[in-house]
Amino acid sequence: MIYFDKVSKIYSPTSIALEDVSFNIAPNEFVSIVGQSGAGKSTLLKLLLAEDRPTSGKVFFESNDVHAIPKHELPALRRRIGAVFQDYRLLPHKTAYENIAFALEAAGKEEEDIKSDVPQVLELVGLVDKAWHFPHELSGGEKQRVAIARAIVSRPDVVIADEPTGNLDPLNTWDIIHLLEKINDLGTTVMLATHDKEIINSLKRRVVTLEKGRVVRDEQRGRYVL
Amino acid sequence: MAIDKITFRRILKWGFINFFRNGVVSVATVLVISLSIFMIGGVIVGSSFVSAVISSLEEKIDISAVFQDTADEQAILFLKAELEKLPEVSSVKYTSAEEALAIFRERHKDDPVVLESLKILEENPLFSSLEIKAKNPSQYESISKFLESGRYDNILGVDANGQKKITYRQNQFIIDKLSFILSTSRKIGFSVSLILALIALMVAYSTVRLAIYNSKDEISVMQLVGASRAFIRGPFLVEGVMHGVIATVFTSAALYPAFWLIGRKTSALFGEFNIFEYFISNIFQIFFILLFSGVLLGTLSAYIAIKRYLKV
Repeated sequence: MIYFDKVSKIYSPTSIALEDVSFNIAPNEFVSIVGQSGAGKSTLLKLLLAEDRPTSGKVFFESNDVHAIPKHELPALRRRIGAVFQDYRLLPHKTAYENIAFALEAAGKEEEDIKSDVPQVLELVGLVDKAWHFPHELSGGEKQRVAIARAIVSRPDVVIADEPTGNLDPLNTWDIIHLLEKINDLGTTVMLATHDKEIINSLKRRVVTLEKGRVVRDEQRGRYVL
Repeated sequence: MAIDKITFRRILKWGFINFFRNGVVSVATVLVISLSIFMIGGVIVGSSFVSAVISSLEEKIDISAVFQDTADEQAILFLKAELEKLPEVSSVKYTSAEEALAIFRERHKDDPVVLESLKILEENPLFSSLEIKAKNPSQYESISKFLESGRYDNILGVDANGQKKITYRQNQFIIDKLSFILSTSRKIGFSVSLILALIALMVAYSTVRLAIYNSKDEISVMQLVGASRAFIRGPFLVEGVMHGVIATVFTSAALYPAFWLIGRKTSALFGEFNIFEYFISNIFQIFFILLFSGVLLGTLSAYIAIKRYLKV
């Protein structure tokens, strides 16, 4: 479903983010990308979102070369990929409800669909009572749950999460991870980038390990080894 | 990219909501745009007012040729027709000696001494004359030369010094000077207006850009969530329209007392012209010029500014 084909991203000769990375992700998989800071995890996800271009190699989403998609068709690709980030990236002047609804509005969904879908995901992430709060009125864990709700509300094929628990305490961390597992159980492919050893070891799912921009290990039911 | 109805409605909705949620930033933007179009409005009204004053001064310049009392009216009318053929001439007015006398009488009807002396004279002491207006003050020189060419010496009057009675020669210095001042003030007025308008534009643009710079992270998030460029840009443009409209109302309200005050202070200077009356009689035109510049300023600045952050 997602295929990285000999992807390299070289910012400068001394700064190589990814080098000759190839791997394949099947539908409904839960893949963790692990590695130390600077190992290239975020770059990998950025390339998939077409936020950045690879220096060489190709990234395929289904049969489409992501970087061959014309600019005006990128929004359509991004609507099929829900993204969650360490810094939440919520829209600060919109309430939790509006943040989630925005993804549907951007996709041109009907008003009735928005009115039924948004409360559903709010329910799923357990934030029904905080729907009309602005991001600055929410805790870190709550913000991340809003971000996840926004990422899944348009029923994307893939959810990518870039260090989603990086700013959270252990309790909230587990909430978020369980949410991601639940999303995966409901049929969505999940790509999780993290360097949290405990998370990886308890997930017991596929692990792709990056080191200095190279894939050094790719195991089903992997463990965190560095 | 075409925008469907539902997207258009959402763009309107978000533009409106963002305007109010942005609070202080919106107020600041409206104020700066107000200041800009206040300057534009002031410059437009001011320069068209000055140009109206200049035109009326130019109207006042003319030259007249006075004829001998023996001059044949046919010959004078022939000269009038010749003058009217010149490209520089805008109008020629013939006043016969009798008409000149009647006008003189009318003007001095309350002055018994003058009327009495006219009676004593018996004969008409006044002469026929042509009053010539040029299209442009700088053209009096050539019109005057045409009259002096010699062909009309038999009918043109001559004064005690043997000079032909053409008022241009008598007033040449003042006419030249006035026409120079008028053309220079038009040029200066135009350049000053242009510079002021340019400064106003740049100030407004930088303010809007700064406001949008504040939203640059938001814009990149919207792109990541899969919003199209039109859907991201739309609300900013709607906000721009609102900034422009509110600024126009605000500015119109501020220009009214400003011109009233200036009109009162300068009425002595311009005499029959009053800038406040000029403003009032053109108020709809001015309002629409302001509205147009305000809305254009608001939306165009937003459009250009947001283009920078829509690159991802």
